[in-house]
Amino acid sequence: MSGSRLDESTSRRSRRQFAELLRVQGKLALREPYALLGGVALPAILLAVFGFIGQVQPGNVGTTRLTIIDLWTPTILVVSFILISVSLPNTLVRDREIGWLRRISTTPLHPSRLLAAQLVIDLILAAAAVLIVILEGALVFGASLHMQILPFAVSLLLSIAELFALGLVLVALVPTQTVASAAGGVVTFALMFLSGLWVNPAQVGDPLRTIMYYSPSGAAVRAVLDSAFNGGPSYAALLTMAVYTVIFGFVAIRYFRWE
Amino acid sequence: MSAAPAVTVQHLDKRYGRLVAVDDVCLSIHEGEIFGIIGPNGAGKTTTVECISGLRAPDSGSISVYGLSPQKDRNRIREFVGVQLQESALPPRLKVGEAVRLFASFYKDALDPDQLLESLGIKQFDNSSFKSLSGGQKQRVSIALALVGNPKLAILDELTTGLDPEARREIWSLIERMRDRGVTVILVTHFMDEAERLCDRLALINHGTVAALDTPEAIAARAGGSRVRFVPSQPVDEQTLRAIPGVNEIERKEKYVTVTGTGDLAGALMNALAAIGVRVSEVEARTGNLEDAFIKLTKNDASSFGKGVQE
Repeated sequence: MSGSRLDESTSRRSRRQFAELLRVQGKLALREPYALLGGVALPAILLAVFGFIGQVQPGNVGTTRLTIIDLWTPTILVVSFILISVSLPNTLVRDREIGWLRRISTTPLHPSRLLAAQLVIDLILAAAAVLIVILEGALVFGASLHMQILPFAVSLLLSIAELFALGLVLVALVPTQTVASAAGGVVTFALMFLSGLWVNPAQVGDPLRTIMYYSPSGAAVRAVLDSAFNGGPSYAALLTMAVYTVIFGFVAIRYFRWE
Repeated sequence: MSAAPAVTVQHLDKRYGRLVAVDDVCLSIHEGEIFGIIGPNGAGKTTTVECISGLRAPDSGSISVYGLSPQKDRNRIREFVGVQLQESALPPRLKVGEAVRLFASFYKDALDPDQLLESLGIKQFDNSSFKSLSGGQKQRVSIALALVGNPKLAILDELTTGLDPEARREIWSLIERMRDRGVTVILVTHFMDEAERLCDRLALINHGTVAALDTPEAIAARAGGSRVRFVPSQPVDEQTLRAIPGVNEIERKEKYVTVTGTGDLAGALMNALAAIGVRVSEVEARTGNLEDAFIKLTKNDASSFGKGVQE
């Protein structure tokens, strides 16, 4: 058999393996719907709540021409990404703790492929959340849709990259499922607070405002908000997220364990 | 049985920090045999098979699995070595059929998942999630995952721990059928009856070294021997008994005399005693079994650890 035919059959087999893994991880994501409920269903509900508040209290917020729903959409999207990323340790730490990753590593498949499949599934969920929230906002509650697509997409992608990398840091560092759910809870609360879900950073004084602006979730909200309504993203926010992505990625890779 | 061994392990050493887990282990496993690795807890059994399967890197020594190195040829070895790990579970909501089909997709030359489930008697659980299965069913799924790649070598660690007697017997006949299909099996166990019943050859590992390596019968005979207990019709002196061929040890307790030794001990005793007019009653003869041998071969070190095993 020639080398190229061997390569071809190997790559075909590798695609078949990955397709099967995706199918199985996808089914598990539906059966253990942490990411689905937190990342997709909850944002849709949150948006509806803010949408109805917006209908009761219509009009401009402050001096902007934006409605309540316009202002909350970016935060809700970032909350979705937060909840999807903190669900990563729920499955992956469990899979490691029960020896499933180790078991996979005795087969021709490297367990990193399982991790990759899980990330693809979560990316699909994040994309679904973005679509649902934007369409729900626009069609049901009449939110503005005149954002610039490219900066908006870049802001969303960087937010996802940064928050997923943070989720992987949790997977790498926490030893057990019990610790994972406790740590996940604390991180979720901190990220949601910093994103401005409860307190708007524009309305608090320094240094809290600066901390929020340069936190992983605060920077994400600012970038998405700016690219949606202020004509372009804040480069400081984009740069902040890029730096977090690199740092979290480095820590996750450095400390990742398969068993 | 081919001339070249399926697995050779030479001078294997493995330490965890200052703890010596495996110390100069040498083994050679023939193609198509069930090779047992027995020994007390913490003796280094699991570490040895983990090095063979490539999950751990030895500190020194060499391992060859069908001519390949588990470290250097990791990817090629994984294609034909099936591993059943001690204490390894599946995601609780993963279904049996999904797991086996997933694993089948990993291998070049996998078995048909449906037939495999059928032959393991778990076809009816195809659509059941892993967490809903009983211990024996979970073990069978675990075996299915080790076999679905159609391995030449299957490494099974603590296969029947926690199973009821009936489930154990079923798993045993399953392993025998694997051997009949030509699969080489390495079986790690601490159940002597399991090793005696299944294994063609055994290595007894104690404190990281091979204490014995032979067929179960040979190990049992070597260290255990036979034991005959009887009540003589009149006192027999020590010298008379010692003169009987095969007799090693004599023990007296109340009216009972217990003689341990080798060969056809009961026959030799009966004949010799009848010749001097001693009749015997309440005869109880037992050939040495693996468990006796195990205790004998491991007890010396055990007593030096301050918890002597009573014979």
